[in-house]
Amino acid sequence: MRDIFFDLSVRSVRLNFLRSILASIGIVIGVVAISSMGMLGTNMQLSVKSQLSSNVNTIIITSDVVRTTSTAGTPITSEGIDKSTLNDIKSAAGQNDIVPIHRTNTQFTIGSTDGRGSIYGLDPNDIPKFLTIDQGTNIKGGTDALVGPNIAANFNMNIGSRIKIGQDNVSITRPTVRVVGILAARGFASDGVNTDNAIIVPDTWYTDHYGDKDIYDQVNVILQNIDTINQTEAAIDDKVNRRTNIVRISDASSRLSSISSTLGTITTFILAIGSISLVVAAVSIFNVMMMSVKERVQEIGILLSIGTEKGEVRRMFLYEAFILGIIGAVVGGICSFVIGYSVVSAMIGNTSYFFLPDSLIYIPYGMIIGIVVCVVSGLYPAWKASNMDPIDALRSE
Amino acid sequence: MDCGKTEEAEEVRELPMPPLIQLADVTKVYHLESGDFTALNHVSLDIRENEFVAIMGPSGSGKSTLMNQVGILDVPTSGELFIDGENVATMTSLERTHMRRDVIGYIFQKFYLIPLLSAYENVEYPLILKYKKRDETGKAAAVLKSVGFDEQMSAHRPNQLSGGQQQRVAIARALVNDPKILLCDEPTGNLDRKTGFQIMDILTGLHKEGKTVILVTHDPKIAEYAHRTIELDDGKVVES
Repeated sequence: MRDIFFDLSVRSVRLNFLRSILASIGIVIGVVAISSMGMLGTNMQLSVKSQLSSNVNTIIITSDVVRTTSTAGTPITSEGIDKSTLNDIKSAAGQNDIVPIHRTNTQFTIGSTDGRGSIYGLDPNDIPKFLTIDQGTNIKGGTDALVGPNIAANFNMNIGSRIKIGQDNVSITRPTVRVVGILAARGFASDGVNTDNAIIVPDTWYTDHYGDKDIYDQVNVILQNIDTINQTEAAIDDKVNRRTNIVRISDASSRLSSISSTLGTITTFILAIGSISLVVAAVSIFNVMMMSVKERVQEIGILLSIGTEKGEVRRMFLYEAFILGIIGAVVGGICSFVIGYSVVSAMIGNTSYFFLPDSLIYIPYGMIIGIVVCVVSGLYPAWKASNMDPIDALRSE
Repeated sequence: MDCGKTEEAEEVRELPMPPLIQLADVTKVYHLESGDFTALNHVSLDIRENEFVAIMGPSGSGKSTLMNQVGILDVPTSGELFIDGENVATMTSLERTHMRRDVIGYIFQKFYLIPLLSAYENVEYPLILKYKKRDETGKAAAVLKSVGFDEQMSAHRPNQLSGGQQQRVAIARALVNDPKILLCDEPTGNLDRKTGFQIMDILTGLHKEGKTVILVTHDPKIAEYAHRTIELDDGKVVES
């Protein structure tokens, strides 16, 4: 059964169709602003988080001694992580993957162009565990090398290019490596292995030329299960740093959480900006409802005089506000979907998170807020209508 | 139900019946910027069940104020007003609303139909107010038919009806909750003479069926339908 007061409200909205639609457009804009901004913020958060959290499952272990840079042929004198410490780490880390890393900075020459960058010495078997080869293959031979995408682009390197490693010095013949693969871009890697501007060589080549056999600059523990990060870190700390601090243990999770909370603040801020449009919409709904009450004074007088309860008159006007809200929310919801997608696509350039519940939930949020704003804006006009004096109301023309 | 009602009525008839409407020293003062205006000045009046009363008097004599009091759209400034045995002053706003809905039927000069509802819905409306649901008993249609309203017009909105048709709908709306009192404020004032007499015939018929009819009019011809005339002047009853 349809409520007659609902029918009366529907008919009133229909009678003043243009005015009602114009008021609803305000709500449409408000809903679109809130939903789109919310979705933009969430997509931004999810996108940044996923970039950062791709290696958040990695524990970074470095020597507690600050290392100095060195060039090829010059032995490194400072301490690193030695073989026995590595074995301790392995036994403490259980089933997780252990990646020992050699690293230093070096000069190099490609053709006649000199450059400078990082050089990493890695066991070729460890490379696929955390790096992606974009072109070419993994290292097979002892003089094979992989290069990062930026260094490859800057120095016009291709598969087969040869790189002379070390400082150009007439008296020394520099060792040469051959590029067999180019890595995919990593950006700022939170596992401390920044390969975009680096050359990756086999660990055997590295120790042959820089010494440091069985001494590592960094050891990464790649966890199979991110939830075990704290207990694994504690186990390594117990085992290795039992007497003195030999290694420094860190991970990217704290940095990730601080970036996430910053992004959350930004999302709230842009949502607040979106809400301003809803405040404007509320004023317009309020105005339309007041006009509706003013125009229907005599009708309200009739209703009250023949025995309509005040609550029923209130209900009639709240229904009217609710209908305006529903129209605005439904149209706004549909527009939010289209506009939100466009905004996310244009501003983030990645819509892969758009259809996730965390992102789409902003559409129903926006719609509900739109409806609530409408009904709240209708409260005072409805109250005013229900408290009219029926005699005065009947007399008005 | 009807049998029970008759028996009850017979029992009551043996006792002196209390008036259906009783005004005891009722005064109504409006506080205006130009000063206080006394619209009703110590009016005392009894109207018994099934009376047909005409209220007459010049403009500003207090006829409308008296109707608003009897219709409990307003309360007296002083004095007491009893409707159907209830003291209006002691009733809550909601109780007064329910009494307007259940005990009193209003018929206005300007018909005052609800413009957004059809003729049928206007008649059905008081039933919905009372029973909180749509009329499934066919009562609204039956009442509309009983006042001579063309059934085919029942889906029309008030602005599509003639004055006489609108007043028939208004009478049907006033009757549908079976009120004891019919308050008619110049019911023929907006109608041509012929239609006016048709409407008066309907009211006379309703009086014969047991309704208490109170009629405000300027027209002595219309007042002749009533069995008693109350003359008001300057807020006072001058002849009853």
